[in-house]
Amino acid sequence: MRNLFKLFIFTLIALLIFSGVSLAENEVVVDKWTIPFLNSVTGPIASIGEYMSWSAEYAAAEINKNGGIRGKEVEIKIYDTGVEPDKGIKQMSKVVDDALVVMGPVAESVIMGAVPLAARNGLFSMPVSTSYEYANKYFPWTLSWYPPTDEKLPPITQLWAEKNPEMKKVVQFVEKRAAWPGMADAHQIGLENKNVKVENIEVPKNMVTFDSLVVKALSKNPDGILLTTNSDKAAKIIKKLVDRGWEDKENILVFSSADDTPLYTTGGKSLEGISIYNYINPNTDNQRWLKFKKAYQDDHNGKNPGSLATNYYDAVYMIKEAIENKNITGDPAKLKEERKMIKNYTRNVNNFNGIQLTWDMENGVPDSKGAFLFKIVNGEKKLIGEIN
Amino acid sequence: MSTTFNYFIGFSLIYVLMTWSIYLPYRVKDLHFLSVAIMAVTAYFAGVAAVNWGWPFYLVLISGILLGALISFLVSFIIGDVPTFTVVIVGITFIFIIKTIIENTDYLGGTMGFFAIPAANNILVIIAITTIIVGYILFMIDHSQLGRAASVIFEDKNMAYSLGIKPKKIGQLFQTISGAIAGSSGVLYAYFTGSLFPDFFSFHLVGTLMTILFIGGYSTMWGVVFSALFLGGVPILLPSAVSSWKTLIYGILLVSIILIKPDGLITRKFLWKSKNKLKEMRK
Amino acid sequence: MEIFLAQIVNGFSLGSIYVLLVTGFNLMLLVARIIQFAYPQFVVLSMYASWIVLEKTGNVFLAALAAIITSIILNLLSEPIFRRINNIEKVDINASFVASMGISMVIVEIMSHSINNGFPVSFPEYWVGKNLISFGYISLGRGEFYALTGGVVLVAIFFYLLYHTHYGRVFRAIAESRKTAKKVGLAVFKSSILSYLIAGVLGGIIAILFSMLLGSASPWLGESVALKVLAVSITAGLGNLKGGLYVGLSLGVLESLAVGYLAGSWANVIAFVLMLLVVLTKPQGLFGTAIE
Repeated sequence: MRNLFKLFIFTLIALLIFSGVSLAENEVVVDKWTIPFLNSVTGPIASIGEYMSWSAEYAAAEINKNGGIRGKEVEIKIYDTGVEPDKGIKQMSKVVDDALVVMGPVAESVIMGAVPLAARNGLFSMPVSTSYEYANKYFPWTLSWYPPTDEKLPPITQLWAEKNPEMKKVVQFVEKRAAWPGMADAHQIGLENKNVKVENIEVPKNMVTFDSLVVKALSKNPDGILLTTNSDKAAKIIKKLVDRGWEDKENILVFSSADDTPLYTTGGKSLEGISIYNYINPNTDNQRWLKFKKAYQDDHNGKNPGSLATNYYDAVYMIKEAIENKNITGDPAKLKEERKMIKNYTRNVNNFNGIQLTWDMENGVPDSKGAFLFKIVNGEKKLIGEIN
Repeated sequence: MSTTFNYFIGFSLIYVLMTWSIYLPYRVKDLHFLSVAIMAVTAYFAGVAAVNWGWPFYLVLISGILLGALISFLVSFIIGDVPTFTVVIVGITFIFIIKTIIENTDYLGGTMGFFAIPAANNILVIIAITTIIVGYILFMIDHSQLGRAASVIFEDKNMAYSLGIKPKKIGQLFQTISGAIAGSSGVLYAYFTGSLFPDFFSFHLVGTLMTILFIGGYSTMWGVVFSALFLGGVPILLPSAVSSWKTLIYGILLVSIILIKPDGLITRKFLWKSKNKLKEMRK
Repeated sequence: MEIFLAQIVNGFSLGSIYVLLVTGFNLMLLVARIIQFAYPQFVVLSMYASWIVLEKTGNVFLAALAAIITSIILNLLSEPIFRRINNIEKVDINASFVASMGISMVIVEIMSHSINNGFPVSFPEYWVGKNLISFGYISLGRGEFYALTGGVVLVAIFFYLLYHTHYGRVFRAIAESRKTAKKVGLAVFKSSILSYLIAGVLGGIIAILFSMLLGSASPWLGESVALKVLAVSITAGLGNLKGGLYVGLSLGVLESLAVGYLAGSWANVIAFVLMLLVVLTKPQGLFGTAIE
């Protein structure tokens, strides 16, 4: 009898412990969520990297103010990779054993160097600022934020050509960096669709003075100029063009990746009247975006958010949604499965409410997103056209 | 073994090999920057051979070593007996030429870089074995008449001539061996990282290797081992905020070493003293 | 034809950058017996100094002063480092090259991390000035004009000072052999400090000219030109002031034409290949070294 009783107590206690364990099964194990972000904080695209770090950290701060993710705070940890793959590999190797998910890398060369390492180790990366072509190489271990480039870009340059029908010949300055040559090709397709001839001039990365290049361009008698270079170089080239008497400012188009702070600080008044395109919808007037915009302007001397500023903000929120909807715990023993859960959720999310638009993902590819064409008036972008 | 530690050891050893390729010619006072250009050539050769031609790993490694030695050998005829600084210019020019060719050749990936090089089995073990073999060769050279002759050339070329030593021949020999070492490091780098980027094989790498060589001590091969681990490898283990100041720390260390201990941390004297101390302790 | 002329004019303005820097570089070789690889970085940091002053005060005079003072301080601070290296009577070019590489790394990192978040800085219009000449494809700004004339004038001044005055002779004697100079009672220490001071003033002037010519500065500006400046000096002949002027200008014109008529990135290579050819056929440089 006593033995039976002992057995009963023993079983009860065991059951309690067991159920205690399963009750705690979905409880968060970590003290805070640390999301690593491989970014280009130094180097030639540091100005882009800077606002991407800012956006991710802003998202984290906003989330924490509203109760965190499943009650725990989230922290973004930035790992600088410059634009070098070997730096990217070194940084990725620091996170590949423990991280639930990694944001970035940003620079295409770093993506190509470091993502295979992550993929081999079952870690999902979110390089949400790159083109489709550089993300889809690593499916399903990445996702793409954009539909294929040759669907996305030609309509924009086509629109620009439509707005300036007198343009018959365009000289495109191309800086051979990362995805930009691919984007330059897509630009060309759009223009050629409107019977505009395109001649490409390569801009060496370490160019110090631009007079020779500008003279070379002008010698081809273009009536339009397209700048597929970084912001600092674009501004300098525009200045030299203006110096040599270029008048039709709207016939100068700057591409989205050059739309950041150095463009405006180096270009100053010479930018007045030029055309520029990017992916941020200026007509959005939801509260979230207005708050974001104001905070950005406060921290960046009144400048407007860069073209890719919302990408990592949205990425952080997407990760939050995945963690919440899948009851992720952060338990190291469950790392492999939880990584897979985040991967599968984000790659097929429905009705994701980004800060500017809402979209669906299907197998890592989004349905289409817009692009916006602007003219710079008094240092500010004025919308003159859009693609949906 | 954690992934980070894996990469720490791998990169440290590769840096050891790369610096040794600069160390050897510097034994006769040649700043043989050509080694970096050779690393670029053999690394890309390895990439193309592995990915596009499907060559097996060991064939690529042997070919890379031979290719490196060949290039160095041919250029050594041009370098001949020129003043020190001309050797520097030759090296820098080749680095620039190779870099520009790579950046403008789409087949080699251009400015985007060359990727998807398959990992070789047990690459870390192979890197370690290669390091040991190269180390052994350098050890044998340093402790032979050749090594002693090199030291004389370093101190005083004219004295060397008068002793019947032929600086030009020794210089050429060292440069050729250095080319082979550089070749091996380029191939191993390609397989270890799986990706290549033209900007890596630039003057920045020269700066890093010089720092490792001068801080460790350019008169012995052991200094390089110590400083490569510390300067090349440790930044991988450090948190990101600190490691982004890496180059600043390198610069300060480099200037400090030149001021305080221009021969580097580990010198012949230091090794000799340590050996004696160990002997005494055993007694 | 007009395009060709325009590219030549561009070439002269690019060349003046090389001439100015190589003159400072050669000066350090002549009177301090060092390879000052970090000289272009000192110039760039001085440009940043004048930018900071312009941002804070808008005062042109103060900004110019800031550039000169910064350059003087940097050069004077480097004096003890190089003196220590040159204490061994045999001048060790390798050691000074390595030390100046280290200094260069430190300065670039400071600029990339701490000033303006590492982004390029832009000089205001009132500093840069308007175009002086502008017809067709040819355009010469105020900065370019000053840089060009400045380069020629400075080379002439230093050449005269060093080779045709008593003091110049003293400087060179001390540089050639410190021990002997000391024995004969020449003020070695004072002249050493003086030579760094002069290099500093020159560096500050160059910084002002560059900021007008380029209109901006960035942390990697020094690196883009440092290697070429070294190569110009070696090609012309180490320490050869006149040679530096000719080779520097020629390189600027060659690069400009290469960029104008070929694909951009090959311009860099052409410069180095030509220099390599010169150096292999004439190791003492085209115009002969001025030091042993």
